[in-house]
Amino acid sequence: MKVLMFTWEFPPLIAGGLGMACYGMVKAMLAQGIKVDLVLPTKEMVYFPLRDEGDVDSLPVVFMDPVLQNDFSSRTFSDPVERLKYIGVSTHPESYHTIGDIQSFVTRVEKEYLSDGHTNKEEYNLWQQITTNLDGDNDFILKVQEFTQRAERFAKELEYDLIHAHDWLTYPSGMLARKLSGKPLVVHIHATEFDRAGGPGNPQVHNIEYAGMTYADRVIAVSKYTAQMIISRYKVDTAKVRIVHNAFTLEENRVFTRERIFKGPTILFLGRLTLQKGPDYYLDVAKMVLEKHPQATFIMAGTGDMARQLLRRSAKMGLKNRFLFAGFLNRKQVEIMLQASDIYMLPSVSEPFGISPLEAMAFGVTSIISKQSGVSEVVHNAYKVDYWDVDLMAETINDLIENPDKRITMGYRGMKEVNQIHWTEAADKIRKVYSEVLSQFLKSQD
Amino acid sequence: MLNILFYFQVHQPYRLRHVNVLDIGKGLDLFDEKLNAEVMQKVAQKCYLPTNKLLLELIDKHEGKFKVAFSITGTAIEQFKRYSPETLESFQKLASTGCVEIIGETYYHSLAALYDTNEFLDQVMLHRRLMMDVFGVHTTTFRNTELIYKDTIGDLVFEAGGFDTILTEGVDRILQWRSPLYAYKNYSKNLNMLLKYYKLSDDIAFRFSNRDWPDYPLTVDKFIHWIDQLTLSEQKERNLFLNLFMDYETFGEHQWAETGIFDFMRHFPTEVLKRPHLGFANPNQVREWANYQQESLTFPDPVSWADEQRDISAWVENDMQKNAIDTYYELFSKVKATHNEELIELARRLSTSDHFYYMCTKYFQDGDVHKYFSPYDSPDQAYIYYINALADLEERMQ
Repeated sequence: MKVLMFTWEFPPLIAGGLGMACYGMVKAMLAQGIKVDLVLPTKEMVYFPLRDEGDVDSLPVVFMDPVLQNDFSSRTFSDPVERLKYIGVSTHPESYHTIGDIQSFVTRVEKEYLSDGHTNKEEYNLWQQITTNLDGDNDFILKVQEFTQRAERFAKELEYDLIHAHDWLTYPSGMLARKLSGKPLVVHIHATEFDRAGGPGNPQVHNIEYAGMTYADRVIAVSKYTAQMIISRYKVDTAKVRIVHNAFTLEENRVFTRERIFKGPTILFLGRLTLQKGPDYYLDVAKMVLEKHPQATFIMAGTGDMARQLLRRSAKMGLKNRFLFAGFLNRKQVEIMLQASDIYMLPSVSEPFGISPLEAMAFGVTSIISKQSGVSEVVHNAYKVDYWDVDLMAETINDLIENPDKRITMGYRGMKEVNQIHWTEAADKIRKVYSEVLSQFLKSQD
Repeated sequence: MLNILFYFQVHQPYRLRHVNVLDIGKGLDLFDEKLNAEVMQKVAQKCYLPTNKLLLELIDKHEGKFKVAFSITGTAIEQFKRYSPETLESFQKLASTGCVEIIGETYYHSLAALYDTNEFLDQVMLHRRLMMDVFGVHTTTFRNTELIYKDTIGDLVFEAGGFDTILTEGVDRILQWRSPLYAYKNYSKNLNMLLKYYKLSDDIAFRFSNRDWPDYPLTVDKFIHWIDQLTLSEQKERNLFLNLFMDYETFGEHQWAETGIFDFMRHFPTEVLKRPHLGFANPNQVREWANYQQESLTFPDPVSWADEQRDISAWVENDMQKNAIDTYYELFSKVKATHNEELIELARRLSTSDHFYYMCTKYFQDGDVHKYFSPYDSPDQAYIYYINALADLEERMQ
């Protein structure tokens, strides 16, 4: 079985939640014999043919252009980073070389692929959704346009049994590939615009999300929480929706020790500093806890559009040197931070899943997680609190500071629990979804 | 007689490294050794060495008639010793001419006068001892960090002992109808006060090379003409003082050599000394030369020479600055109680006012000046590194 997979993140290209999830699931899928051709928003026109488990780390590369491919294969690179730089993979992808004209592309797609008499009205309407909503000239939309235009070549020239697209940025690409190949499309919902925006959000994005989910043969949601949201808000056919929870697998035989930075209790927030993640609730909780336990230290790690506002507010609250901003942390730094933390807090307003608490728990850090999260469906040994209930969150932290034994016991149980959650299970479920759509597809071919 | 008093502030802070949360508790150097060395060497080449050489030539040429005064902070002296010993030697040479007065201040160029009076007195004494060690002089004139002054600071300086004159800004809201050319007394009448003539000082320090300024270019003739225009009719036999106070880095650093600032300074004394009613003086001559009843001035609120407001808002205005300062002084009293000399010295380097200046968010006209002087990308970053440094200091203490 071979999958054409479109995603926006994959380590080392942005190490966000989406990237971590894709990495984990693809690795487990490869272990089960599924082959993946991965397409990322790289600068050069390349794809990553992943065949063995180890390929997720070595990331083999193929250029679509044979001349460039020859040139590439004759080169030697001193280290993997240099090799990835060559194809234009950075932790923050830059704009592409040239941005094509989306309108002429759309007109051509309509003429070549949608006017052949095999396109019904409903399908045509969904395409209209995409073409009108992909219009615009902000940086992000331009990148999605470019990504979509490239998808045409991947869809035509590669061989695959089905298509798997992660989040709205890649839905137009997934749809195009389905149209061109006739192969089934699975879309994967890691987050919707409702989660990201913490409110109505961008209607352009909503429309693309709607079109993608409606066009797809199966929709994978990362939690019940997300499944309910897409069924109620996007009116997705319940029969098409499957739930596959994310997982977290710590490297095998990984040994880690507690390595404190602060002598006092250390509480950690780790995530983008955006409305969705609830960092402002964390700040309120910190203020309340510090009044009772001034020896505690609260760390806020991450960057985002609320960074300045949060910084200024923390200063105004007079939290002294007890509320610290750690900025963006890379994977290694995240691990160091977790080893130095006693309590992890995820106060997300809306969290489709939330892998980060699993990682914290894997490191034995006692976790307090928002009830408005997918991760709260899969773990038991964590404190679950409504994101807006800052009093309860503060009380919980106070209690854990005052009763270290309780905290350590919960941390230990959480660690044991998370060690039983593996990507293998998620891969099993995804494989099942693939089998469903493929047998359906084969039936339709008869 | 109108006496021109040149007073130059010589100061270099210990700039902080980009202190990250993950660095805390590792016992790493909090300061950016490389950057501090670079800045010191750059400023030495562009400003300190050529300007000291020029001043020495002028003193030599005018045989004692040309005078200047310096305040040199302890953190600057330490960094001269480490990164540019020839600069320190050239200052020592100047001081030995007898035409250069060395002025007292806080060793760490801190805001202690506003937040911790005991620490203020300690830093004043540390500085006085250092001036004695380095230049062999006993300081008798005082000027507080960035000319920050209010009545209670005058009392503290008097309490410190041995100071009879203090320098500060000639702020309009204090002077009102009075002229900054007179020598005044503080409100307790136990210190002479000399007030910066900010218009003419800033013409040199800030506007010298500004092409948008209607009076550009500033020539010696033009400047002397303005001095001649000053209200000398009131003067009669009285000794007045035209106080030109500025950053020493004005010469060659803020105003590059290409602007002609050195030529201006080379020719200015000659023109001054051609005029019988003009001369140069040092602040320590005021006690003998003030031949009239000195009016006393009251400064209920702090003034400074910074920004349009000439108050302390460049250091203490926004929430970041307030939290940083409050946290610092609360922590410092704990550090001091440890009697751990090494830790106290480290903490004192964090008292330097520049750290708070970098956090200033007044991004209008004055914001540009702040940005120019800051080694960080934004006030927010300066705040983050500083607070992280204080967290590290606290971890070192326990």
